[in-house]
This record gives sequence, C-alpha cells and structure tokens, in this order.
Amino acid sequence: MRLGAFPFPAKVPLCPSVAIADTSPGPDKTKVRDNQHPQRNFTRNQSQTHPLAIGPNPKICQLMDPTSQSPPTKKRKMASSTTTTSTTTAAVEQEHQFPLPPILTHPSSTPPILITQGAEGRLYKTTFLSPSIPCALKYRPPKPYRHPILDARLTKARLAFEAKVLERCRREGVPVPAVYAQNAAAGWIAVEWIEGAPVRVKINEWLGSRPKNEEEEREGANKDQGPLVELMRRIGSAIAGLHRTGVVHGDLTTSNMMLRPPKASSSEQTNGVTEEGEKAKLLEGEVVIIDFGLANQSQSDEDRATDLYVLERAFASTHPRAENLFEHLLESYKETFGKKGVSVLNKLEDVRMRGRKRSMIG
Amino acid sequence: MALETLHIEHVPADHHVYGALFRDVQNVDFLQAQLIGKNPEFEYAFIDASVIISRTHLLAAIFRALNTLTEGTLQTPNVHSDIVIGLSPTNNISESYRRYGLTPSKTRDVLVIKVVHPKVSSENSTVQTQTPESIWQHLTTHVKGTSVPLTDEEFAKSTDWAKVRKYYKLNGVPGVERIDKQDEEGRKREMEGLVVSGIALRGL
Amino acid sequence: MPDAKGRRIALGCEGSANKLGIGIIAHDPLTGEAIVLSNVRDTFVSPPGTGFLPKDTARHHRAYFVRVAKKALAASGVSIDEIDCICYTKGPGMGGPLTSVAVGARTLALLWGKELVGVNHCVGHIEMGRAITGASNPVVLYVSGGNTQVIAYAEQRYRIFGETLDIAVGNCLDRFARTLEISNDPAPGYNIEQLAKQGGRVLLDLPYAVKGMDCSFSGILGRADDLAAQMKAGEPGPDGEPFTPADLCFSLQETVFAMLVEITERAMAHVGSNQVLIVGGVGCNERLQEMMGAMAAERGGSVYATDERFCIDNGIMIAHAGLLAYETGFRTPLEESTCTQRFRTDEVFVKWRD
Repeated sequence: MRLGAFPFPAKVPLCPSVAIADTSPGPDKTKVRDNQHPQRNFTRNQSQTHPLAIGPNPKICQLMDPTSQSPPTKKRKMASSTTTTSTTTAAVEQEHQFPLPPILTHPSSTPPILITQGAEGRLYKTTFLSPSIPCALKYRPPKPYRHPILDARLTKARLAFEAKVLERCRREGVPVPAVYAQNAAAGWIAVEWIEGAPVRVKINEWLGSRPKNEEEEREGANKDQGPLVELMRRIGSAIAGLHRTGVVHGDLTTSNMMLRPPKASSSEQTNGVTEEGEKAKLLEGEVVIIDFGLANQSQSDEDRATDLYVLERAFASTHPRAENLFEHLLESYKETFGKKGVSVLNKLEDVRMRGRKRSMIG
Repeated sequence: MALETLHIEHVPADHHVYGALFRDVQNVDFLQAQLIGKNPEFEYAFIDASVIISRTHLLAAIFRALNTLTEGTLQTPNVHSDIVIGLSPTNNISESYRRYGLTPSKTRDVLVIKVVHPKVSSENSTVQTQTPESIWQHLTTHVKGTSVPLTDEEFAKSTDWAKVRKYYKLNGVPGVERIDKQDEEGRKREMEGLVVSGIALRGL
Repeated sequence: MPDAKGRRIALGCEGSANKLGIGIIAHDPLTGEAIVLSNVRDTFVSPPGTGFLPKDTARHHRAYFVRVAKKALAASGVSIDEIDCICYTKGPGMGGPLTSVAVGARTLALLWGKELVGVNHCVGHIEMGRAITGASNPVVLYVSGGNTQVIAYAEQRYRIFGETLDIAVGNCLDRFARTLEISNDPAPGYNIEQLAKQGGRVLLDLPYAVKGMDCSFSGILGRADDLAAQMKAGEPGPDGEPFTPADLCFSLQETVFAMLVEITERAMAHVGSNQVLIVGGVGCNERLQEMMGAMAAERGGSVYATDERFCIDNGIMIAHAGLLAYETGFRTPLEESTCTQRFRTDEVFVKWRD
C-alpha cells in the first residue's frame, strides 16, 4: 500500500526479514577479470553472470516470520550456514548484462567495456569523438531504492559538482582526469582515460611480494619499504595540492587514485612485470586522483581533516599491513601544504577523537 | 571532393556530419547576410576558423550540439546555430555568435559544418540538397575561397591564440603555466584539454 | 562441559541500552548448528516525548535481572550443570545499565561456578545475524540507537569501513519521535515506520549527508525538527499544501535510509562483496530492508536480515558470540570482568573465523 504512493522504477519483491539466497558464482571470476582491463578490474567484470534468486528460502521465511512476536519456543533450530546454502541453491542463473546508457547505444568504433559497477554508477571504457581518444564514461543510473525525486536531485547535483571540481583542479594543475563531455540530467560524464592501475592494487601487489611476517614488518626495517614510503609521500602531496585548490574529495580511498606509469613505458609493458628488477618500478608513476563523485568545494580545516580521516580509515582497513606507513602520507601533506597543513592535521586529531568517542554508546 | 564526412563516436547512425574549411574567403558578408536573412538554403554552421585550435576542439562542439539535438534541448533555432554557440564556454548567446561565427571584413578562413538528420529532411521539404555531392556543389558555388582539408595542421595555421586564450580564459592558468615554456606541444595539449572542458561544462 | 548430546551451552546477558535480555544457546560441534534454547527480553519503556535515562534504565535491569534469568533458564530446559559459560556484554553501551548486567552475570558465574566471557555488543549482533541468515561473508550494516556502522570482515577483525560522523541513525529517529511525541511503545522507530506508511504525498526536502562511506544525521534531525515546528504552526509545505506527521516520517525514512543503503553499497563495491547483512534495532525496519534488497538485487546479490527477536538487542546474541570465543579458549577472568562504554567493533580479535 505505502509503495503505491509513488512509483519506483523497479520494485523488488522482498519478503520481510528474508534472506535471498546467494548462489555459486558461476565461472571463475578471477580468470575472467584477468582477461579484461587488468588495471581496473577491482570490482566487476564486463560479462558478469548474476545469479538471481528465485525466491526466499521458505524455511528461513518461516523462522523469520515477523508476525510471531512470541519468544522462540524451546529448542528451535536455526539454519546454520551449511543448511541455508543447501536449501537455496535452486536459483536461476541468468545472463545479466546491464543496459547501456542511451548515449552509449549509438555507434562507436569499438564497443564500450564495462569496467566497474561502482557504488555510484557504472564506469565504461569507451572512446570520445575519435577512435584514438579513449575515455572513461561514468553513468549514474537511477537508483531503484531511492525515491525518484531524491534520486534525480542527487544525480544531477553530484554530476554537475564532479564536472566543476574536475575542471577547477585541472586549471589549478592538480593531476586529475580532464572533463570531455557531460549530461548531468541524463546521468553521465565522460572524462579522460587514465592509464595505469589503482594505487590499491599496486600497494597490494607490493605487499604481496613481501614476507607475510607481521611482526617483522612492524619491527621496522623501513629500508625495505622505501618505495612504498615514497608513494605514500606522493599521495600526501597530491591530496595537499587538491585541498589547496579548495576542493575536498569526499571519498578518498586507494581505489580512487591511479598510479599513472611514466610516459616512457606504456601500460602494456608494466602489466607484464614479474621479474625482480622490474619490482622496484612497481610503485613508480604519478598519482592521479579520480572519482570526484562526492567532492565538495570547501576551505575548512574540518572538511579537509575529515577527508584525510576517511582515507586513513579506508587505508587501515584495506591495507592493514601497511597501516603504520600512513604517517608518511600525513607528513608529506603537511610539508606540501605548509601552515595550513599543520592546522588541518591538528583538526585531524579532533576528528579522530570524535570517532573514538562515538563508540561509547552501545 | 573536399567535403569531409566527420565520423564522431556515439552519434546516432542516421545523423551525418560534413565539414569543409575554406581559406581567404572573399564573400563573408554575403554568407553572413544569408544567415541573418534565415535563407533556408544556407542551413550551415559557419565558424570563424581562427578560434579553432584542433579537430578535437571542433568535434567537441559538434558532439555537444548533437547531444542537445537528440535530447530535444536545443538552445537556438537549429543544430547548426547550436554548434556555433557550442564552442562557447559561456551562456551569452549573442556574444557567442559574435566570437565564433562570421564577422564581415574580419573573418578570413571559414569552417562550414553541415548536419543531415532524419528530422530535418522530413520537416524541411524545400531543401533538397542533402547528399554530400549536392552539399559540396552548393558550397563551392557560394563560398568564394580555397578549400583545404580539416586537419590539425591546417587548423593550426589559422589559429589566433590570443583570442583563444581570452575566450577560454587560459591566461595565467596554473595548470598551463606549470608546464615548461619550452614544451610548446605540452602546453597546447593542456590548453586543448581546458578548451574541451570549457565546452563540456557550459550551463552547469 | 558438554551436555548429554555433546553440545556446548552458554547463557548470555545483554543490557547495554534499554533492553534487558538473557538467552541460552547450544552449539552442536557435530553439525555446526547453533540452537536457540531460549531468548527472553524485557524492555524499559519511557513515556512519550522522553528518552530512557541511564539511571532509570540501570534500575530496571537490576530489578528484572533475576526474573528474566529464571524465565530464560526454565524455557531452555537445560540444567545449570549443563551450562558451560556465562557471557555478558562488556560494551559498548551506557555505563549504568552495562554495569548492572555485568554484576548480574558475575553473580551467576560465582553462584554456579562457571567461567565468564565478556562480549562486544556489536560483534554479538554480527555473529547472530550470520548464524540466523547463513550469510557467510557479508558486508554488515549495523544500525541501532547508539551505532551506525558499515562493517566487513578482514584478517581476523570486523573492520569498520563507514560510520556516522555524529549521532546514530536510531538516535535520530528516536529523537524525532520525541519531537512528534510519538509513543515509545514498543519502540519509537517502529511507530515512525508505521506512521510513514501513511505518508508519501510529498517528499520534504531534507539534507542528504554522505561523506565517502561515512554519513551524518544531526543536520537532518535539525531540519526535520524545524519542519515539525512549521507543521505545528500550521504553515504549508513546499507545494503550498499542508503536510502531516506521516509525511515527515516518510521523508525522514526515505532520506536517512537512502543514505544508509548508499554507504553500504559503496562498501560492497569497495570490498567486492554482494552480500549484505543488516543487524541492530533499526534493521527491523521493513522499508530499510526493502530498499537494501533493491540495491543488492541490482548488484546481483542478496540482503540478509533478521526479525525483531534478533535485530533488537537480546541475550542470545551475546551467548552465541561469547560461546564462539569460548570455544577458541577465550575467557574473561573475574577480576577483568569489567565493562566499558567505548569498545570498538574492530578491537575484537576474531579467532573463530578464517
């Protein structure tokens, strides 16, 4: 009844308090991903098959029936993970290809490739104007869960902001992708394609190639971590440059930074790095900050500190083994930003404290 | 024939874009008069070539105009005038015509763009010149100038950088200034990027 | 010691907020099943327009502890001898209520000669949610009156990817219920949900505050309070028509839940998971579950949620998470059986998972 009040583009039938089964993932995802753009395959691949559940597990439905307000009866059995999966594998595997945004349905020299299904939208690799200009086209499809009015408002505002912020950075000389074209109302923006791999991938490659002895790493031997420390410093100074232009990113993670290889070596060559001598080059390149979907214009210490705090936590959860190197990033941020940097870092202390305080209420 | 078919990525298949560049055009005032008189036989985008820095620059403006056409959000009477104002990073339409369109006794090199799409052919039955051959014939009959190919080299010959820098606000921009003065190509590439963004961002 | 069927049995005590819950769980090592033997709860309900104060809540927990414990024991059908350990909420939560329940738990441990296991409240929610729904490795949205966190498991810890930068979403809803003087029985959030079902004529414009995987609710609450004041003063809404408390509740839910779904989706994209588990009191909200379901379905994934028995604070989740730790050899010596208002989810070393 309450849904009838406004039309949602897609209503998803969801039995209250129900677990819709997730089924086996089908083809080996890792392999498929490797065939694709190897630098940016961090979430999804192009021809992902989406297992679609046909319906809720009746057993769990019964167990979860919200109408039964009474305490569970004696010795009621709960479904353990094994029983759940075994009873819900009757799901239909279906080829699930996202419909292309209208702009990409028109002819192009090569078909658009879906690179990721990010949180805000889908990222396609395609071409801009001519076959020789690769571009990243970000499409924010309508969100079926969001009220249509709210959805349209957010999509348009965010795309417009993203475009403006990118242009501003570009004019100020902060390395970000150039804006090629946009249609905020239609939900897309096309920007320069940045060669290279996300910093996240590079750091993990680097960490993965090192001994996994946590103790040993914590003890120090920072000499080994030289290139990573150097990268942390470059990230810090890139963020300082960004903040100096009056922009806060709003979603700083190591996935939202690309490591663009030096011009001399093409991306094709760096992909094939396996030899020892090449390992040193793993973390080389210019840090290019991408995905300004949540960016804002702000000069306040508070917003800047929050930007760093978001990254600090994302970094700690994504690269727990390199957490101790984050200070190098902050140090270089401060050096690049000067006096302002000092006050931002002081504010960061406050923001952190608030973060810890937050956990006090249960 | 020197009328070039311009292939642009992600443009509907039934939309055709043609272009030609004429040097030392002698009858700019005549062409301008046809536009002002809304002569249906002169449905072209006439662009002053001195404000164009490259083929990418030109195509970006056409792409933007074609988008507004397919979305049904044209800002001017037709797609051709939308191409001219599409070059502008600002919303001032009459200023855009002045800057990027023809100026009698000032404009020397003229860039002509013609878009043929189903809607036009069905609406405007008086215009029969819709094949590349007929368009070219019409142009060579009425534009008194020397045709040259639409290449970056040819565009570069007529680019008035002082105007481009002014129109696209490229003077003293840190993103350009930080590039080594010796690296002429690098600076131009960066400016081209900013010009394209300027076109993309108009109206936001 | 294991019971006659070879099962391990734990009694869990929870009282970090206004719910006092005691539950008894059995783990069958052969089948790997967790079996709820009893799950009893008593809620301290404050009058409309007011929140629950720590002092009054603590008094409630002290007064009802024995009653609830007896009821849980009787319902479970197990004897005291069969119980392996007493689990209690070490934190986070409100100091007074936490302490009352910790004292109760210590008393049972000493009285019956059992070992104690201190449990992180949030980890309790997560483990219970996983056990109930069978979600193996989901991104967890933990939403309650005191917490708003997006959590994912990595390397022996539940890591917090996103959280509120100010008040918890449940707190936002509870406080708005107070503004509208909606009943706190059975829960303010539940009553907002029911009222919202009658709204939807207009979507009132509220701030939308998402920063990365974090979000903020205090600005929204402030604006909603302002709109409520306008409504009471008889002023019309943005479309010139009057609006109702139902419209306000509807708009508030649509906005804050959209934010929660968005940060969850961002975390899912970040860690590459397509399962999401909702736990905590606000997780009962069917509109939130529905929105989350729509998001998960679009990503080719699934949403897992539980009902009020397990979403809302309860003793069984403490028993379950405590027993998991107990089975790995974890104990809380009596002299260390304190509780703490601050206890972050990622402080717990999760030895029982791969």
